[in-house]
Amino acid sequence: MIREVDGIMSQQPQPKNVQSRGVSQWALAWRRLRTNKVAIAGLAIVGIFAVMAAFDRLVALYPPQCPVGLSPYCPGDGIARFNSPPSTIHPFGTNSYGYDVYSEIVYGARAAFIIGLGATGLAILIAVLIGLTAGYFGGWIDNVLMRLTEVFLVIPFFLLLLVFLQISIKFAGGATGGIWLVVFIIGTFSWPGAARIIRGEILRVREFEFIAASRQIGASSARILFRHLFPNSLHIIIVLLTLQIAASILTEAAVSFLGFGAPGSNTWGQQMFTESNYINQAWWGTLFPAIFVTIMVMGFNLLGNGLRDALDPRLRE
Amino acid sequence: MFFGITLLVFTIERLAGDPVQIYTALNPRVTEVQRQALRHFLGLDQPIPLQYIQWLSQLLTGNLGFSYTYGSVSTIISQELWATLELQLIGLALSLTIAIPIGILSARKRYSLIDVTVTSTSLIGTSIPIFFLGVAFILIFGYDLHWFPSGGLQSITPDKYPFGSLFLDQLWHLTLPAAVYTFALLAPVVLLVRSSMLEVLRQDYILAARASGLQERTVIYKHGLRNALIPIVTYIGLYFGGLLAGAPVTETVFNWPGVGRQFVASTGNLDFPVIQAIVVIITLMTLVANLVTDVTYAYIDPRIRLE
Repeated sequence: MIREVDGIMSQQPQPKNVQSRGVSQWALAWRRLRTNKVAIAGLAIVGIFAVMAAFDRLVALYPPQCPVGLSPYCPGDGIARFNSPPSTIHPFGTNSYGYDVYSEIVYGARAAFIIGLGATGLAILIAVLIGLTAGYFGGWIDNVLMRLTEVFLVIPFFLLLLVFLQISIKFAGGATGGIWLVVFIIGTFSWPGAARIIRGEILRVREFEFIAASRQIGASSARILFRHLFPNSLHIIIVLLTLQIAASILTEAAVSFLGFGAPGSNTWGQQMFTESNYINQAWWGTLFPAIFVTIMVMGFNLLGNGLRDALDPRLRE
Repeated sequence: MFFGITLLVFTIERLAGDPVQIYTALNPRVTEVQRQALRHFLGLDQPIPLQYIQWLSQLLTGNLGFSYTYGSVSTIISQELWATLELQLIGLALSLTIAIPIGILSARKRYSLIDVTVTSTSLIGTSIPIFFLGVAFILIFGYDLHWFPSGGLQSITPDKYPFGSLFLDQLWHLTLPAAVYTFALLAPVVLLVRSSMLEVLRQDYILAARASGLQERTVIYKHGLRNALIPIVTYIGLYFGGLLAGAPVTETVFNWPGVGRQFVASTGNLDFPVIQAIVVIITLMTLVANLVTDVTYAYIDPRIRLE
């Protein structure tokens, strides 16, 4: 019911150029978002994971990659436990290395954020640059950039990713920087869909009078691009960003699960990859990381859908 | 476009490592001279552009070359192609049959309990990693309940066939992976059908159709669904292009002898001819799928004319 009322409200013409300081579009969007329970649930999930990633040492019960009972740095009763089922001291059990599964999942949250934000940041940066340029300049520039985008769309993304990651495994080896290579590779291949949507939005905004007006008063292309077109397509970019974070996390989990992740990185996908060999004896080592991937991806997806409804009244169903 | 993609894969895989090194690493009696001879035999000691041109000229005569491990690439791939297509097409058909009625129902009863349930379940569904679903299915129905085999195309020996029938045995093996595909596709298609139907049901011609006293069934399926199909066809077209590419994870989990699993194995082994052949097939399939999608547009919506 609230949604219906809200839908009517948002269709009322918003006064433009009011002298007094009115309510900004962002505040209006936040108001709409706040009434959307599902989106708020998504935001809460993302928030909880962010806290988990930021304060992982406090949230976790054991130090990272710490074989319980085998290392003097590892708290415990001195008894080594491999693949032991969930219990009071190990809520999600221990895995094949004797690590506490719950603690490892907590440390995986930070890796998930690095992958999600890193790969998405790169992908959206490329998408914005290509979308803005193609949409604003049009003509042959648009043609060339859009053909390039199509090539990237047709490329069997996932397969190419595997071949590329094979290189990263070779060069990064067991080094700790391996995860950044995975981030870089996922990012470089994830932009084409977003670039197309941004271009479409720019094509629409470009035709508004205020763009023509600012060109008349002699604004440079760069100014029009970054002061007018970019902020006016920001609502779409934010939605794409949120949904792409979810997609990147899922992609990393899938490639890691197949054994193409960065060796030595402690992501949820990597945990599932190593523990799935023992799934018959110890399902908890695989199942719990998988559940956390699902919840986190769901959080970003719910938030992204909510943001789409809140930020763009035209897209509201 | 085709040349761009194949050349890219060609170069990248050669940067990824030296297959000769991988295959001979475990044998201490192989000398460096023998390795060099093997590289020469496989043509790997030549510059990459030259190798690419040679491979391309072979490809034009229909020769996909020989795998470094198993034999003729075309023999391997053709068997696997069928296994993959069988699985994917069944999954696609099942999920469309289930998803379209659910999506329509959800759109008609908007904001009802059914709609909210369907939408939120679908949103959760899009967030579940497909391999997790596969592993969970194997654990529950394979190891725990022993209802279905946990992987493979068919039983190893004929005496394991249910009622002695090979067909039933293959169907039995197909159930779990096909179910995973169906579930994976179900959620996005339901959401798409729903939003597309909502858009169409608002149109004036739906009101006109209702006003002219047509049955609700006719209004929804003949006037509504047909107009709502365009985005769905686009999605399926895109999916079809990536049909084989989407397969590696599930096929690996279920040990299904398809193209996707082969690709994963070959990439790990740096079996260049097989990797290249699979990329060629997928790229061609994508281009064909795009064409078919365009033709289907014109069929569904006569306003779209093919030039």
